[in-house]
Amino acid sequence: MNNSLKSSVPTDREVILGILNNSEDTLNKLYKAYYAMVLQFILNNNGDEDDAKDVYQEAIIILYNKIKEGNFELSSKLKTYIYSVCRRIWLKKLSLNSKKTGSITDYEDVFAVEEDVEHHEEKDAAFVKMQSALDHLGEPCKTIIQDFYIHNLSMQDICEKFGYTNTDNAKTQKYKCLQRLKKIFFQP
Amino acid sequence: MRNDLELDAIIEDYLLGKLNAQETEALEQLRRNDATVDHKVVSHKFFLESMGIFAEQLRLKDQLNEIHSEIDVEGLASTLRPHPSRVVQLWRKHKSAIAVAASFIVLSLVSIYSIQHNTKQAERYRQLSNQVNNAIKTQNSLIRKIKHNNTTSDKPNIQNSFGGTGFAISTNGYILTNLHIINGADSLYVQNSKGESFKVKSVYTDPQNDIAILKINDKHFSNLSSIPYTIKRTTSNIGEIVYTLGYPKDDAVLGEGYVSSKNGFIGDTTQYQVAISVNPGNSGGPILDNNGNLVGIISGKPDQTEGAAFAIKSKYILEAMRAIPQDSLGVNKLSVNKKSLLSGLKRTKQIEKIQDYVFMIKAY
Repeated sequence: MNNSLKSSVPTDREVILGILNNSEDTLNKLYKAYYAMVLQFILNNNGDEDDAKDVYQEAIIILYNKIKEGNFELSSKLKTYIYSVCRRIWLKKLSLNSKKTGSITDYEDVFAVEEDVEHHEEKDAAFVKMQSALDHLGEPCKTIIQDFYIHNLSMQDICEKFGYTNTDNAKTQKYKCLQRLKKIFFQP
Repeated sequence: MRNDLELDAIIEDYLLGKLNAQETEALEQLRRNDATVDHKVVSHKFFLESMGIFAEQLRLKDQLNEIHSEIDVEGLASTLRPHPSRVVQLWRKHKSAIAVAASFIVLSLVSIYSIQHNTKQAERYRQLSNQVNNAIKTQNSLIRKIKHNNTTSDKPNIQNSFGGTGFAISTNGYILTNLHIINGADSLYVQNSKGESFKVKSVYTDPQNDIAILKINDKHFSNLSSIPYTIKRTTSNIGEIVYTLGYPKDDAVLGEGYVSSKNGFIGDTTQYQVAISVNPGNSGGPILDNNGNLVGIISGKPDQTEGAAFAIKSKYILEAMRAIPQDSLGVNKLSVNKKSLLSGLKRTKQIEKIQDYVFMIKAY
């Protein structure tokens, strides 16, 4: 497994072009290429596999968004970038949990990524807010909203799925749910 | 309430661009007139954007989770987990540093080795130059190795013997030859053209000019008649026809050519270079010009050049002869002043006359 992971490491250029073109294959390769590196870092610095997964996915999302926003300049190797982001995130998590952060065992070069990580945290806050708003919404509203806005189902599909007599009823229900969701979401 | 919902639907359709031109115009009119409607539009726009981002991130996370599930996390973790052994831990941590250090050590060893190697080469070069110096003295000595496998078995113990050529410088048995032929020999014999052997002993050697003088010390030896050739006092010119008689094999062999250079091996001024093809065994042979004057002694040949030989200039023969008590050489010695008996004779006659005075030297 380890070898097959290493053998398929895509070039940095491939990754950037692939992400810009929404290539799932590239994302797959990228993810598998550097996971072991991050796993090693987390495992050797007071973390477990789940921590590694969270941190690594966050780093990949940061990289993904940065590339999508179109302002990603390759000033270092992607490997270094990902490692640096993971390191930064993990250090923050450690200090939040007031675990000891005295000596971090490094495996790669480190690159200044504070700005990117903070930028991501702001975005992530909005994400968490929406997530919690949806969670507070309760069924069936949550599912209707998710189906319509996230899974892009048509009103016709939703109507059939939830057994409404006609799409107008479904629509009315959707807008009722939407009103409640917005109320929760815009709550200060 | 009902109107609110309808308004929301209209706003959403408006933001998603689903309204027709008339409806769009109507809503924009409403927005301008009613601040609350405008606020609703703006806030819904923001909400939709947030929802869009949320949806995208959620899809991405799902995708990542899917990829993650394909990875053998346990397997990887077990190899990457901090190892109980400190040594392995250190190795993993400092893998690259160790690699750098190792390559540095290898590099230093290689450079040290190559430095030593280079020094060796310099030494070898010096040795080579020593060899060159030796070569200047001896050149490629033309000593004939005589194989005794086929000779009579009365001297079975003799392993190595060398042969060359020599010639008489007096009628009472003084013979001049190259020193390198007799160097280190236990016993010396000369053999004349009739096949008679006489025991000789070395009476004078000149290592610098590679000249040795032998004296026949044998009761069977009877004096020769007067020496037919004389010594040439002046140096010969390039192009002068010369010939030599020698013993590269058991019979005398004539070699003819011309003086090709006034200096010998690497500019050695004590020698000539002559264009005569010579072989081992020719060493010590006399070089004579057409008039029977002794021009030099064959002493060696260059390694790489074919058909050339070096000859010690005749004036060194004279020098060597002076080193011997003049009385012992007798009256009929080789001389400068006398007219050569060979002058004006044909080559065949000349050879006939000198062959009794040219000897094969055998050194055991």
